[in-house]
Amino acid sequence: MTGPGPARPGAASPGPARPGAARPGKIVIGTLGLDQHEVGAMAISRILVRHGYDVIYLGRFNTPLRLAAAAEQEDADLIGVSIHSWEYAAYADELLARCRDLGIGLVLGGSVLTERDQANLMARGADAVFGPYASEATMLRQIEAAVRRVRGGDPPAQADQLGVGHQAMPLAGRVVIVTGAAQGLGRAYTLELCRQGAAVVADDIDEAALKEVTDAAADLAGSVHAIACDVTGSEAPRTLLDAALRRYGQLHGLVSNAGLLRSGPILGLADSDLRLLLDVHVTAPFRLLQAVGGYWRAESKAGRGVEASVVLTTSAAGLYGFRAEAAYSAAKAAVAMLARVGADELGRYGATVNAVAPVARTRLTEWLGEAPASPRDDPLAADHVAPVIAWLLGPAARNVTGRVLEAGNGQISAPSSWQPGPQFPLPSLLSPEAADVLLPRVLASAAPAPEVLTSQDQSLVRTGRGFTA
Amino acid sequence: MTADEAASSAAGIPLRPFYAPGDGSRDYARIGDPGTYPYTRGRMRPLAARRRGWIHRELSGEGSPRRSNEQLQTLLAGGALGIDVIGDNPTMSALDPDHPMCVPAVGTTGVSLCRKQDFIELLEGIPLDEITLSHSLPPAFALAGQYLASPRHGIDPRVLRGSAIQPPLYSEDCSYSTFLPFATRMRLTLDSIVFALREMPRFHAFLEDTYYISDGGLDAVEEMSLGFLEIREVCRRLLARGVPVDSFAPRIAILVNCRMDLFEEIAKIRATRRLFARMMREEFGATDARSWSVNIAVHTSGLTLTAAQPANNIVRGAVQALAMAMAGVQGLEISTFDEPFRTPSAIAHQIAIRTQQVIHTETNVAAVEDPLGGSWYLESLTDELERRIDAAVREREALGDVETLAESGYFRSIFLRGMDRHSTAVQSGDLRIVGVNEHVVAAEDDRFLRDIAEQRFEPDYEQVERIRAWRPTRDDAPLQAGLERVREASADLDADLMGPIVAALDADATIGEITGCLRNGVGRPGDPFEFAAARRPDGTRA
Repeated sequence: MTGPGPARPGAASPGPARPGAARPGKIVIGTLGLDQHEVGAMAISRILVRHGYDVIYLGRFNTPLRLAAAAEQEDADLIGVSIHSWEYAAYADELLARCRDLGIGLVLGGSVLTERDQANLMARGADAVFGPYASEATMLRQIEAAVRRVRGGDPPAQADQLGVGHQAMPLAGRVVIVTGAAQGLGRAYTLELCRQGAAVVADDIDEAALKEVTDAAADLAGSVHAIACDVTGSEAPRTLLDAALRRYGQLHGLVSNAGLLRSGPILGLADSDLRLLLDVHVTAPFRLLQAVGGYWRAESKAGRGVEASVVLTTSAAGLYGFRAEAAYSAAKAAVAMLARVGADELGRYGATVNAVAPVARTRLTEWLGEAPASPRDDPLAADHVAPVIAWLLGPAARNVTGRVLEAGNGQISAPSSWQPGPQFPLPSLLSPEAADVLLPRVLASAAPAPEVLTSQDQSLVRTGRGFTA
Repeated sequence: MTADEAASSAAGIPLRPFYAPGDGSRDYARIGDPGTYPYTRGRMRPLAARRRGWIHRELSGEGSPRRSNEQLQTLLAGGALGIDVIGDNPTMSALDPDHPMCVPAVGTTGVSLCRKQDFIELLEGIPLDEITLSHSLPPAFALAGQYLASPRHGIDPRVLRGSAIQPPLYSEDCSYSTFLPFATRMRLTLDSIVFALREMPRFHAFLEDTYYISDGGLDAVEEMSLGFLEIREVCRRLLARGVPVDSFAPRIAILVNCRMDLFEEIAKIRATRRLFARMMREEFGATDARSWSVNIAVHTSGLTLTAAQPANNIVRGAVQALAMAMAGVQGLEISTFDEPFRTPSAIAHQIAIRTQQVIHTETNVAAVEDPLGGSWYLESLTDELERRIDAAVREREALGDVETLAESGYFRSIFLRGMDRHSTAVQSGDLRIVGVNEHVVAAEDDRFLRDIAEQRFEPDYEQVERIRAWRPTRDDAPLQAGLERVREASADLDADLMGPIVAALDADATIGEITGCLRNGVGRPGDPFEFAAARRPDGTRA
């Protein structure tokens, strides 16, 4: 696009450098979007011109594309953006990616940039970020270093140091809905996805905890858009999808994680608890699949198909059964099957659907006991499941679909699902006597069903081997 | 030369160590009593009005019109006596919130307004017949929107009071661009002033805002000389249309800046009153005394506030407000302590209103008109500023017609020079600022009020969705006819723009669409950001 308004390339150039002297650097400077305050852009331009830099001043109303195009055309070393409006946040990812792709440095500065913003932008690969009142000497020193880096062909120092390079962010640019995102596994998933560069639409009913996780993600590469809503509401899937599309314009993934536990033997479980368990664990993910699947189908039909991924949450209870948790186990078994059929149905629209049975210390597994202080020392920490979820959402898992992974407590496995047993002829209108003979034979030929898990014997823990094994 | 002899005011006026009788006007007639020509000392208000003091108001507007309405209600409940509403970046640039370039900015720096219904929602339950409403919005739309919305709330537009900023000369160069050429901007100014004189006769539809042009770093002389340049240009053009001076001059108001050199700022206001009175009587031939005494309100400088140690900004706001109370301004807005970070938070609003209330109710400052009048120093400074402002106006007018100056970038260069001068002075320490280049504290010790100041909120995506969903529900035939009339009027240099704009807004055209037609009419693309049109959900062009 060509920019409107009073942009006057070269307005601040040429500078008073000695004729023939090599310029210390070439910088494209402007503001982004409708941010119309030029004080900072002008100030830094004048400073740079005074110090011999070649400044291409683009003024207001720039997009990342326009800044990058000008920088490329002018063979500039750096792009400098002056920021006086929060809308920069909407452009930061694209700007960082364009600079990275072009091998151009990026320097940002402005009064609204807090210390946290500065750290965040640095972690994501900016060369330098200046808050209000950065001294002229500091700005010049850092700009000089950035030019040196770019001319040397080195990656941005800070990003490299933090391991936030291109390679370490397989989910960069991907938009993922995570339900039940505020605590336990969902919190760990959200933070890990952000660490790997994803934009997460984080849903939970606990607004305060959601805010906490949003704050915790503030310094990570990705971003969190928090939506407080109850997944069992019939409007929830649409609300979350709309939030993702409004905020990020697209959706690549769904992690259906929201869950709760209502314990009780079959004879004791209240009907309201039964309904709640089924609503949260079966109906909600089903409806979410309908909503996001419908979106991906429409995109695919419009020729804009995306590489989409869904991760549902099943449980060891759903795979093996859990004592006194019949309803919970049945619901989780349903989820495993939902992943399987979902994979079959949505595959044609470019989506994978898998399920994970996490083994972790959460509110639902309080019987696992107290956690060690650091997740690093705790094989049952939710943090260890999160990279598995991230992998399933990433480019390496494009061909993995309809599968279940059981992960946590230092172990990961792909449990086998229902398989047909050895076949026997079924006589027409089997008599009771014939049944007494045939059925024990049929059952004896099949692999024995695993024991139902219990909390007393801590089967889950016992089967785990921890990190050191 | 001693240090004292080298002292100067912020605008560079040399200052003596002290002032004595004989400094400043010796002829009291040049000063005059309050309420008499040349109005150096302002108006003479009856006791009750004097006791009421100035209009306490604060800049407001955040998110959707409904959310902003709640903010206005809160301010009024807290004792605000007037309202000043500013639009967000898209609104100020006459673009709609669902424009792709606008979405990330919707509602974060002001209210999002783009249609008649937005004005209706913004003003619901606001006692517009009792308080004044100042618009920091594109003026033609502010007037059209309020004109259409008021009757919906049972209020006759004829009783409306308030003001609308007219920025035809400078807005493209130092503020919010509307991507319209000078000629169209000037037509909008003239037509909207004439419209308001007829339809909203108590309204100050000609507010000269010298705040926004000066807060990038201009000094008081530059501020007021550019302000007078704009006032004079608009007045000449109104007179050329045959509008009698005494019909519009009483409806002119000025919104000035107030920085930290307090005596200079007070003197600036007194000098401005005198220059205005003389200009109206001597040059433009006004004979009605109401045409001579200009209404002056103030917005304290955001540029003087600091991101470092934000609590200090409360002190700055208070001393500026006290100075302005002593200058006898008609209206006052304090830039709130969180100004370097965001548009005002609720607590910042409250503190700013309370600051005004403390000054007004507890100090007795409003008991006497022009309490500082007769100060040898102040009278001398008033004279010197008057002389310098007047000289600067004459000098600039001698350069040629303002349209050529505006289009050639002359004004822009003044603004850029001011910004550069300011930032250089801060960097060098020549401009001493507590907490910035003196008495600096480490970042980790600078937390007080910072958490409030740094709080952010999301763009109002729901308002974007609301507008997107609403577009296809409009009755298309009158809408398109209305827009076509705007386009035709824009192309016809003799046509009135206000009538078609009011009609189009009434037919549910958006501000973005109407402005697009204004641009089309003069051969400019309707959408200033070309890529946008194809991405409009309903396929319409801006």
